[in-house]
Amino acid sequence: MHIFANPNRFLGIARPLTPWLGWGGAVLTAIALLSGLFLTPPEQLQGESVRIMYVHVPSAWLGMGGWTGIAVASLMQLVWRHPLAAVAARAVALPGALFTAICLVTGSIWGRPTWGTWWEWDGRLTSMLVLLFLYIAYIALAGATADRAGGSRVAAIFGLVGAINIPIIKYSVDWWNTLHQTASITLTKNTIDPSILWPLPIALIGFSMLFGGIVLMRMRALLAEARIEARLKRMADA
Amino acid sequence: MKAKHQRLVLALVAVGAIIGAAFLAMSALKDTAALFRTPSEVAKGQVPIDKPMRLAGMVVPGSIARDADGVTIRFLLTDEGATAPVRFRGITPDLFKEGSGAVAEGRLGADGIFVADNILAKHDERYMPPQMESAMKSEKDKAARQGRRP
Amino acid sequence: MNHWPFIIAAYAITIAGLAGLTLASYAAMRRAEARADAVRKSR
Repeated sequence: MHIFANPNRFLGIARPLTPWLGWGGAVLTAIALLSGLFLTPPEQLQGESVRIMYVHVPSAWLGMGGWTGIAVASLMQLVWRHPLAAVAARAVALPGALFTAICLVTGSIWGRPTWGTWWEWDGRLTSMLVLLFLYIAYIALAGATADRAGGSRVAAIFGLVGAINIPIIKYSVDWWNTLHQTASITLTKNTIDPSILWPLPIALIGFSMLFGGIVLMRMRALLAEARIEARLKRMADA
Repeated sequence: MKAKHQRLVLALVAVGAIIGAAFLAMSALKDTAALFRTPSEVAKGQVPIDKPMRLAGMVVPGSIARDADGVTIRFLLTDEGATAPVRFRGITPDLFKEGSGAVAEGRLGADGIFVADNILAKHDERYMPPQMESAMKSEKDKAARQGRRP
Repeated sequence: MNHWPFIIAAYAITIAGLAGLTLASYAAMRRAEARADAVRKSR
């Protein structure tokens, strides 16, 4: 992990990797979405609306995964003082928030023709909305309290404490009576028929690659801004 | 540095407040009724009469009946433990059907009938293509005709 | 209820959001890295 501590080593890998993640992610996402629109059958109860799954589920997983990444990076920043950790956490926040918002909006759109409602305050929907609020708070906090290197202790603590919401989201459908159904895919079981399931892993990989590409681009921008600040300060002091 | 110190303290307080609010929301969700009650809870008398609430279960096959006025429907909700009668006047969602899950929003009457003013459909975690069983059956028939094992 | 308007809306919002953030992040990165190079060169 620590070979990336020197920004030049990181940039040496990030620069060539960024277009691979960006273009590769775009291509896989396009394949997954086109497959989901034209190559899969409707669901016997939900009809054609099941196709929304291919955008809703990967967004949900990445929205939650994003905050998990923020929590891990915050831990590395606070405990191991990894110099890139704070920058990584800040870079993940906006894409994480976007995927969470996409999950909420596509979920609402899916709920209207199936459940018959755009929104209910059940455990799953409410905890996902809380996640979006946490992201917005984190972005504001990190932006307001960033030091010259782009890091923030307060934001790191927030990132760690907020992680409690992730298992709450995951187990909400088991702990409480919710409108949202229980998990279809777990480590031990899968209740999605293969004819409907197959574009989902493609969508997940495509979305994840786009997520990774966006994070790398945002990290590169943050590091460039830190370089500019340091250079300007050195020139002013000289 | 004093002002910056104050800003940090304020930020921490704000953070604490956000987290506290979120936890409050979660515990409130947990303590008050979950999104819905079940027919078993109604049978055990755990459900208050004439209070706005939701009742959810599976629509008992064969139980949907339309009243003489042509608009009101009656059906039974079950959770494998007990059954509760529901009366509803209005439009049901497309996914509302017998053998499928439903959430009724309304009030429990003193006569034990749940009077709903809104019906939501609830589906489980399974995803199947249509005519799964008939596709499998026609495969078996085709194999039998060709004299090979299905 | 015809589900296709809902499907189109969900896909359109997803694609717009992803494309928008990808392009915005790319533009911000190019701007910042170009400025960093310019500052580095200006002794």
